Amino acid sequence: MENVNNYNRANEISLKAWAKSIRCNLVRMVARNGQGYIQQGLGAADLFTYLYFSEARMDVNDPAWEGRDRIFLSTAHNSALFHATLAERGFLEDAELETYTKDGSKLEINVSERLGALVEATCGSLGQGLSVAVGVAQSAKRQNRNFRSYVILGDGELQEGQVWEAAMYAASNKLDNICLIVDRNNLQVEGNTQNVMIMDPIDDKFLAFGWEVLSIDGHNFNALGDAFQKARCTFHKPTVILAQTIVGKGIPFLENKMSHNMVLPADVAAECLSILGCDHE
Amino acid sequence: MSDHLHLGDFTQKIGASPIPNYYGDALVTLAKNNPKIVAFTGDLTPATECDLFRDTFPDRFFNSGIAEANMIGVAAGMARCGDVPFVHSFSVFLTRRAFDQVAMQVAYPRLNVKLAGFLPGLTTLLGVSHQSIDDFALMRSLPNMTIIEPSGPSQMAAALRAAASIDGPVYLRMHKATETISTAKIEHKIELGKGQMLSNGNDAVIFACGHMVAEALEAARLFEKVGISIAVANMHTLKPFDTDFVIEHATRTGVAISAENHSIIGGLGSAISEALAERQANTSVKFKRLGIMDTFAEGGSTPYLFNKYGLSAQHLFSSISDLLEIK
Repeated sequence: MENVNNYNRANEISLKAWAKSIRCNLVRMVARNGQGYIQQGLGAADLFTYLYFSEARMDVNDPAWEGRDRIFLSTAHNSALFHATLAERGFLEDAELETYTKDGSKLEINVSERLGALVEATCGSLGQGLSVAVGVAQSAKRQNRNFRSYVILGDGELQEGQVWEAAMYAASNKLDNICLIVDRNNLQVEGNTQNVMIMDPIDDKFLAFGWEVLSIDGHNFNALGDAFQKARCTFHKPTVILAQTIVGKGIPFLENKMSHNMVLPADVAAECLSILGCDHE
Repeated sequence: MSDHLHLGDFTQKIGASPIPNYYGDALVTLAKNNPKIVAFTGDLTPATECDLFRDTFPDRFFNSGIAEANMIGVAAGMARCGDVPFVHSFSVFLTRRAFDQVAMQVAYPRLNVKLAGFLPGLTTLLGVSHQSIDDFALMRSLPNMTIIEPSGPSQMAAALRAAASIDGPVYLRMHKATETISTAKIEHKIELGKGQMLSNGNDAVIFACGHMVAEALEAARLFEKVGISIAVANMHTLKPFDTDFVIEHATRTGVAISAENHSIIGGLGSAISEALAERQANTSVKFKRLGIMDTFAEGGSTPYLFNKYGLSAQHLFSSISDLLEIK
């Protein structure tokens, strides 16, 4: 199978280059729309890069390959990043990114399965992605198949009760083929998660639910690699990676700026592209 | 030593004779022939007749606890991998409680998930929290959803087979065979999407479903005694709805009434109203909806509640008499 990772880690130089290119496209996509989920996208770009380029087994020639690892984006609004990542990975043409959020486009602002394979479920109604990912993990066990189920949740999404129903189910059923990644960016619609609802300690919550818990820096590729590897080597219980990320990562004047759906005027976008070094690609 | 003190069911009181599991037996039969079938229940295994499935196929049975939203999602995930989940709970929890999950994770992606809800309408002692008076309304409003309600024990296996015959989401409105529904005239077969004429008549037609079919047949018998012939149809498929059948018999008799163990809003009565209004079939058709009259109910025995909330043969008799202007 061509282009299928077998959990061989990509080297850091390549990962950085992919992440940079993804961030560039992300800025361009949001800029075309004038506003969007730029902050979360920049924040989770390293995470997505590692997951799609170095962890998940998938085949660019056959997106619907039955043996693929499933990746669920429960925070479906982090769509600019998702689409940019798929394009970088070779599943979408760069030109298709230009249709993002346009009427009639399959690249919707909340990722939907109209896009086709690799959208494993239509989420967006927050709290639902983990349950479906758990079901996929359950089927993989039942059918003796070795694909894994990855699911990305936002930290604000942990406020949805269904997440904890699913967490309880996954641990009860000893589903060690599921890996939950919490994008701990401290951001939700109305600002800092901790101001809306006391979130911490998130690690203790998952420990109490019977999960293996790995807290890491979500911008450190080595840490990401170690965590995913450890998750694969953890048996009889599910793993959650609590990835601390910084919204706006990569553009100093945007870092830690808590804006859920941010306006991105052309001049600011141009400055972002310049800082990222996108012009020199 | 205290095993005999355990009651696994919610549908009947102590001392009642065991209820045959027509649905549960049929599910096991179906699953023997289709290894893809798996079953979920939310801590209601005996009450949803899943105990035999659990004991026969322990590896294919998942008790997902008292957490219906997650149960729907997990079932959807399994369906995406080619398994065929039958998801069991009380109707009210599958539909009202987990509506968004059913909409987004089952109906929208047209997944092959079967939702089997028990305790329809007022058929429970457990009161307003457990009475699904709006499940038809909720499920009818979802694109891609098929809705079947069998009438009486003899149709349960057929309803299950009909649901299994579709590659897509189905809501099965099931009931336990606790009631003495007269099954003499109810056909065992279910042809999906087709109204079923059980008793011919020319003066009026009752379109009924579920428990109300037996009440409708009884009402027709009462009218027969006074020389009035009433047609009785079993509308076992709420969606897709047999509009042609409804128009044909409503216009033929000129007087039509719907009878359902559900709110008059959003269910069978609404489907018939929509059909009659949109087809503008014949404005002279007199029509009335009989069901739960836009009210919440209370806990109580089924006969008591059916009588109190207007779901009886007597109520049908008097409503039809009004339509026929019989004094």
